[in-house]
Amino acid sequence: MKKLLAVTACPTGIAHTYMAAESLAKAARERDIEIKVETRGAVGVENGLTAQEIAEAHAIIVAADTDVDEERFAGKPVVRVPVAQGIKIPGELITRALNLEASNGTAPARAEEVIGGGKQQNMFYKHLMNGVSNMLPLVIAGGLIIAFSFLFAFTKGGVDQVEGSFGAALSTIGGASMGLMVIILSGFISFSIAGKPGLAPGLVGGVLAKDMGAGFIGGIIAGFIAGYVAHWLIKNIKMPKNFEGLKPILIVPVLSVLIIGLLMVYVIGEPIQWILAQLTAWLTNMGAGNAVLLGAILGAMMALDMGGPFNKTAYTFAVGLLGASIFTPMAAVMAAGMTPPLGIWLATLIAKNRFTKEERQAGKVASVLGLSFITEGAIPFGAADPIRIIPSFMVGSAVAGGLSMLFGCGLHAPHGGIFVLLIPNAIDNLGYYVLSIAIGTIVTALMVLLLKRKATA
Amino acid sequence: MNIRELLSMDSIFLPSNATTREEAIQQMAEGMHAAGAVTDTSAFVQAVTAREQQSSTGIGFGVAIPHGKSAGVARAVLAFSRFEQPLEWESLDDQPAVMAFMIGVPEANTGNEHLQILVALSRKLIHDEFRAELLNAGSKQDIIDILSRHIG
Repeated sequence: MKKLLAVTACPTGIAHTYMAAESLAKAARERDIEIKVETRGAVGVENGLTAQEIAEAHAIIVAADTDVDEERFAGKPVVRVPVAQGIKIPGELITRALNLEASNGTAPARAEEVIGGGKQQNMFYKHLMNGVSNMLPLVIAGGLIIAFSFLFAFTKGGVDQVEGSFGAALSTIGGASMGLMVIILSGFISFSIAGKPGLAPGLVGGVLAKDMGAGFIGGIIAGFIAGYVAHWLIKNIKMPKNFEGLKPILIVPVLSVLIIGLLMVYVIGEPIQWILAQLTAWLTNMGAGNAVLLGAILGAMMALDMGGPFNKTAYTFAVGLLGASIFTPMAAVMAAGMTPPLGIWLATLIAKNRFTKEERQAGKVASVLGLSFITEGAIPFGAADPIRIIPSFMVGSAVAGGLSMLFGCGLHAPHGGIFVLLIPNAIDNLGYYVLSIAIGTIVTALMVLLLKRKATA
Repeated sequence: MNIRELLSMDSIFLPSNATTREEAIQQMAEGMHAAGAVTDTSAFVQAVTAREQQSSTGIGFGVAIPHGKSAGVARAVLAFSRFEQPLEWESLDDQPAVMAFMIGVPEANTGNEHLQILVALSRKLIHDEFRAELLNAGSKQDIIDILSRHIG
């Protein structure tokens, strides 16, 4: 049965709030509908709605002339009317709320489908999906524009943009869009948790995560910390009545940004720098050893955080070796960076019913980004369900990287994706290289389908 | 605290001969003053009128609930009127008001016990049976009894 929630509030908080609440409850009883009504009146918040109830509700009726902390309902279908309407037409409001078919495209509905179960629609995924869905347009726009820019570079027979050219402009534009990705992810996770006060610390945390190379995983961590810090500050800071106005405009913004900033710099940033140094040293030692294993490890690193510290380390390592005329790790890294978006695209093609319409669309774009070696195209999928999707990507990328090394494929340019395949002599063992990427793509897709099925069962 | 402490014989008008909303508010405020709950009648009437202008308190079903918070109110107080002639009150359902409860609350926050009673009254007014009893009440004492029975 559909459960409804309602909130009523009015400026004086003595009469209308409670009349509207009673009217709604009465109308619901007459219709045999389950409803819980929170009242925000002169005696404070009574019968408060819990996060759990909000998550489970079909829709929420807000009959209020004052603020009722609506950020709580982000992504839920809401019928919003003045408090008087709650008294006057309660039955109609209930009908309207029931007819709001979780008006799709809303964040929680989507999160529900992503995790496949439909039952465990918890707050964690709601916040995560709020970040991911706001980030998605930036990834798509930025990725496609960068991919498009490659066309201009390669028609001139090179892999680098000519400075001041149209291609370089496209590359800058695409880069700007991609550069906002981690920031928006973090900002909107935080926004989902704490409402408007969460946005500032979330965005700042996201910039710091981006600048320190912490990638999208760093962005997710920053967003959650920022959101809960802001939330905690709002709930727990008590101000003398005369200074109450300073809380939202001064105290909470300054403290929340400062706290997330210090945490990012000292608690998150330092370990990341340390990990990067250790990884680079380790890879350098590995370089002389088993080539296939090195390829597999580089591949897994590329997919682990798609633009984060592991990915960057693997990439930088391979680019560094180009200078020493060692071309095979570069090939392994690019192959492994192409398979996550290509694999998820293939998965959306094979098992349409396990993805939402929006995800299937995003899958098509991911194919183009994958071909262009823009690994970030797979981030929206990875970020939406990291536990199941990231390991799938890592396995597929490890296979692609290992095979590329096994076949002795070499790549002479540091980027370019499919475009570089068209340049004569840019790749050693071209046929086997394409095969490595294809196998990696198929393995990625199969892994995704395997893990997602387990999740639904 | 119970509703008897909020309502006195002086603040019940059965029937009220008021012909306009303003007159009804003024009359009930004076009743509250007579009962000793309102110290500054004009300040309180001003608060109630300001609230009416913000949006009418005619909630429909023939009921209006003018109310105000003012320093002119010494203690929480309730007044009741049943009108000889239904009054235009710009109600939500465009029907004239047949009866009105007027609520006075002091400016300073003096605990919320009395608020709980007013809240209970607001909730009750939604129910037809309760309103029907008030419409049929024959005396001031009946009104007090009905309210005590339903609200406590």
